[in-house]
Amino acid sequence: MAKLSLMFENKLVKEVPIGSKPVRIGRSPDNDLVVDNLAVSNDHARVYFESGRLVVEDRGSLNGTFVNDLRVERATLHDGDSIWIGKHHIKVDSIGDAPLQYQSAKKANAPMINETMVLDTKVRREMLSQAAAMGERTQFAADRIKVPTIVVLSGKTDSKEYILTNKLTTIGKSAMATIKLKGWFKPPMAAQINQRDDGYYVGSGAKVPAVNGVAIPGPTRLNDGDLIEVAGIRLNFIVRE
Amino acid sequence: MELSALASRGESLQIASGGATDVGMVRTNNEDSYQIVPALHLYVLADGMGGEAHGEVASSLAVETVVKHCLEGQENPSAPLNGEAKPGLSEKSRRLASAVHLANQKVFASAAQHAEQRGMGATLTAAWIDDMNLSVGHVGDSRVYLLRTGVLQQLTSDHSLVAEQVRRGILTASEAESSTMQNVLLRALGTQPQVEVDIEQVGLFPSDILLLCSDGLTRMVTEPEIAGALQSEPDAQKAAEKLVKLANEGGGVDNVTAIVVSLKPEPKGWFSWLRRGAHKSASGNGTAGGH
Repeated sequence: MAKLSLMFENKLVKEVPIGSKPVRIGRSPDNDLVVDNLAVSNDHARVYFESGRLVVEDRGSLNGTFVNDLRVERATLHDGDSIWIGKHHIKVDSIGDAPLQYQSAKKANAPMINETMVLDTKVRREMLSQAAAMGERTQFAADRIKVPTIVVLSGKTDSKEYILTNKLTTIGKSAMATIKLKGWFKPPMAAQINQRDDGYYVGSGAKVPAVNGVAIPGPTRLNDGDLIEVAGIRLNFIVRE
Repeated sequence: MELSALASRGESLQIASGGATDVGMVRTNNEDSYQIVPALHLYVLADGMGGEAHGEVASSLAVETVVKHCLEGQENPSAPLNGEAKPGLSEKSRRLASAVHLANQKVFASAAQHAEQRGMGATLTAAWIDDMNLSVGHVGDSRVYLLRTGVLQQLTSDHSLVAEQVRRGILTASEAESSTMQNVLLRALGTQPQVEVDIEQVGLFPSDILLLCSDGLTRMVTEPEIAGALQSEPDAQKAAEKLVKLANEGGGVDNVTAIVVSLKPEPKGWFSWLRRGAHKSASGNGTAGGH
């Protein structure tokens, strides 16, 4: 995903991703890229995609918009170009790889939020469109997050291995359980594993599971290699690359 | 408020639900919307964003679109589906995903057509109970919780910047809770022409309690407090109202909405057993029974 980096005297001031909406550049604070210098007009320029090409358009600014050394009213941008506005210049990055942009988008968001309270709807709107552009890149990157496996070490179950792709995995005899127990006197719902943002937590059902030999006091976060014992079965929690 | 029974697989369940919403103690308008459709056991919640009254426009449009599309699907199962269908999903899950895709398109189109609505969006979280199966459709940072055997479990992942940072190990869960960036969403309805929709399928058990809520609840009330309120108040409607009250007592900095759905096994005994038999034969395939 493309981005713009605002530079002043070769120092990075701010980065913004270029999404489906034009990036508005100017001195007034409601721009996407605010350039705080009197030589810059309130509504100075815009950068946006048009039929797959990245375009910069001067908004009738007093001191003009320059691409590399050329004053332009409207020009197609290429990767590595510099847009000069007053003493600032904006580096154009129209390629870039996803992880790098994830980092840069974070930096771009940070100052906006520190400057302004989140209840300001205008800022929130701006952030939302920026964050949405960032989300576009991150939402399909779920495969980078590791999915753990439960391996059955002993006890009768309907499978020997389970991949924990769901938010909730239930262990029990019930037809609704994910890890189905077989045999007499097994509870319908013996225990459950919940995927949270910071990891996988095992919690009690009709039974209190033990993790590494210790009965859990409440929902307990699992670590790679943990041994879970519940309702007469032994399970190994494994996080593979 | 809903009270109806669901009989299948030899289990007989009563489903009761209730919802409550409030503007909170700080905001001047309520941008949350929700709807309960008892006939379908469908529960839909959206938290709108965008200046002036446009958050309300986005959230109510999203909720209405989802409900309407699910009702249409119920009447005509071959009605066309929106968005790509992932393999392995139940019919209800596919319909729900389709409904959320459609809601995204509608909110996006409305924002594109009306200049003053530029930037409006909404979260959307929906739960649909069919037989003993729950389908959850989700975009944004509203949540679905399941309280089972006293354990409160989250069935949705927040599509927020801080949650993503926690998943990537950049922040801890407690750091995320105190972050000033909690309002930054990575996914919402109406901000892009297409959106990825999370679908989760969960098998239900008797005595499960479901909670759908906007972030106005989870920012103000801790999970143990939520679990405590759900356990101490058996009436679904009163539980929803209690949660909203707790959020307001905690500061109420945002709009707050809660929908509580409780599943209860029907009383045991030879009389209810007989009634259950009659119910089963009356409904033929035994998949559903609304009172």
